[in-house]
Amino acid sequence: MMFLPAGSQDETGNQISNRLRANEIFRNITEERNFKPISTPVIEYANTFINPVAGMDLQNMLKWFNHEGDIEVLRPDWTAAVARAVANQHPSEQKWSYQGSVFRMDKDGTESRQAGIEMVHTDSFLGESECLLTAVYYLKSLSINQYVMELGHTKIFEEIIAPFPFSDKDEEALRIAMHDKRTDLVEQIVRDLGYKELVEPLTNLIDAYGSKEMIERYEQIWSERPELLTILEELKNMIQLLEEIGETEVIVDLGRVKNLPYYDGMMFRGFLTQNGATCFSGGRYDRLYKQFNQETTAVGLAFDVDILASQMDQKQWKEKICLLATPKTHAVAEKFRHEFRDKIVDIRYEITNNQAYDKVYDLVEDNSGYKVVER
Amino acid sequence: MKPIIALTKGRLEKQFLKFFQTLDYDVEPLLNKGRKLQVETDQFSFFFAKGVDVTTYVENGIADLGVVGGDILIEHQPDVYNLFPLPFGECRMALATKDGYIWPDQKKRIASTFTNITKEYFKNKGESVDIIKLEGSVELAPILGLADAIVDIVETGTTLKENGLVVEDEFLTFSARLIANRSTLKVKREQLVPVIEAFKKGAKET
Repeated sequence: MMFLPAGSQDETGNQISNRLRANEIFRNITEERNFKPISTPVIEYANTFINPVAGMDLQNMLKWFNHEGDIEVLRPDWTAAVARAVANQHPSEQKWSYQGSVFRMDKDGTESRQAGIEMVHTDSFLGESECLLTAVYYLKSLSINQYVMELGHTKIFEEIIAPFPFSDKDEEALRIAMHDKRTDLVEQIVRDLGYKELVEPLTNLIDAYGSKEMIERYEQIWSERPELLTILEELKNMIQLLEEIGETEVIVDLGRVKNLPYYDGMMFRGFLTQNGATCFSGGRYDRLYKQFNQETTAVGLAFDVDILASQMDQKQWKEKICLLATPKTHAVAEKFRHEFRDKIVDIRYEITNNQAYDKVYDLVEDNSGYKVVER
Repeated sequence: MKPIIALTKGRLEKQFLKFFQTLDYDVEPLLNKGRKLQVETDQFSFFFAKGVDVTTYVENGIADLGVVGGDILIEHQPDVYNLFPLPFGECRMALATKDGYIWPDQKKRIASTFTNITKEYFKNKGESVDIIKLEGSVELAPILGLADAIVDIVETGTTLKENGLVVEDEFLTFSARLIANRSTLKVKREQLVPVIEAFKKGAKET
């Protein structure tokens, strides 16, 4: 017997069909929206992902030493890889799309498939809008209509704590406590530092998630904080644009903090309503390009194609036809394929399971040659 | 759809029920569950699992909320919202060894179920130790000579005392905590927020 390592899997049937279909639709949609495809290698230096700006955790990567003693990894993230690849290109507007696997040991399955877009050197609102509208259109094309889109912003937390000096270690501890919505620890950290006036704003912020009415509530609370009102305005404008386009349910989490150091502005996620699975995530990460000495804008999002594929309709996408032939009539059957455009055509010499096809045709001889007759 | 809550079996279960009774929810099906692992009430679907499994079920979205010991959360670091402490299940993490034990002049061997907590504790002390993972009855390890000391949960201290062990250091305190799945907290917020608020209010009033 041959076995698979933990986390690896073979795929057949609907899951792989749906995934390939999701890839195909993604390629068409991104092409129509003028994204150019980009591919980066599966094997990269670890430093692309673990440098202080990218900030990923080496422990969770599949890694080894190369013959020169450098650490190489299987690509754990597309965004940092694309930034490395395009950083030296001309700083004009760029729209990139990618599809491929990422490998991380802290996720079920080690290998997961992503499809994503990145927009660099683009007007901020245009870039964020294009990302989210691509998401709306893509999910609609996959017939995935039951989902919730969540918006957050890294700068809300950062603006609130800005007047208070924090060491890097304390700020990181506070950020993790906010990320975990751990009210008691947030309170303890700021109290221990003597910032008791931060307790209420931060513990309230943890619970500031829900429908867009949350923004109106916080416009009142932050009426004297123009820098926070500007962020709320950004979120409101985005929600308004999404509402103008269609039925997408949008929620906000004003207390969301970045979970990777390179996020730097609006953050977004899509949750499937049925099971809460995160089907896409992304955001603004201008900071990522600063390591390449570029002051620019960058925004993107990645879809979890495995989750999308598991959610797609199980039905056959195309009608399935069986042409029954013999070795003698095989060439004739092959010529008949063109009469069944946009259908799956399977030529067989015998059929044991009629249920496997939507229609079965025999090749029947007539005066002028052959014709197909449905059974 | 009703909120799904995963509860830790055993000691925490009884203490949770006592707490839950104060929140004006229907507890009758929970009190009379017998050996069933799943219980439906008018407002909730409950199921019972070992502490670490509660975190796995919540992390994977099988349960929306979970009640679990803080020790489990620190040891296993699940990717969940770790909302707030509940007013029961208090205990401490302690380093304990045999009464009057003379520490050897070499690298120590420490037995524990909580290997990550033990590793972090000695790392913070700046000391290298060998950690021996045990699944239970860790008090046996120093007595039988498997380890120099143990790192384990102490609630009343009775078990340690009865096995001739003494606490050398106490370094963490815990209680039970309410945890939530990262996605369903948002997607099912209409159903979950009132429950979380009730738990929070109950925890403050206790």
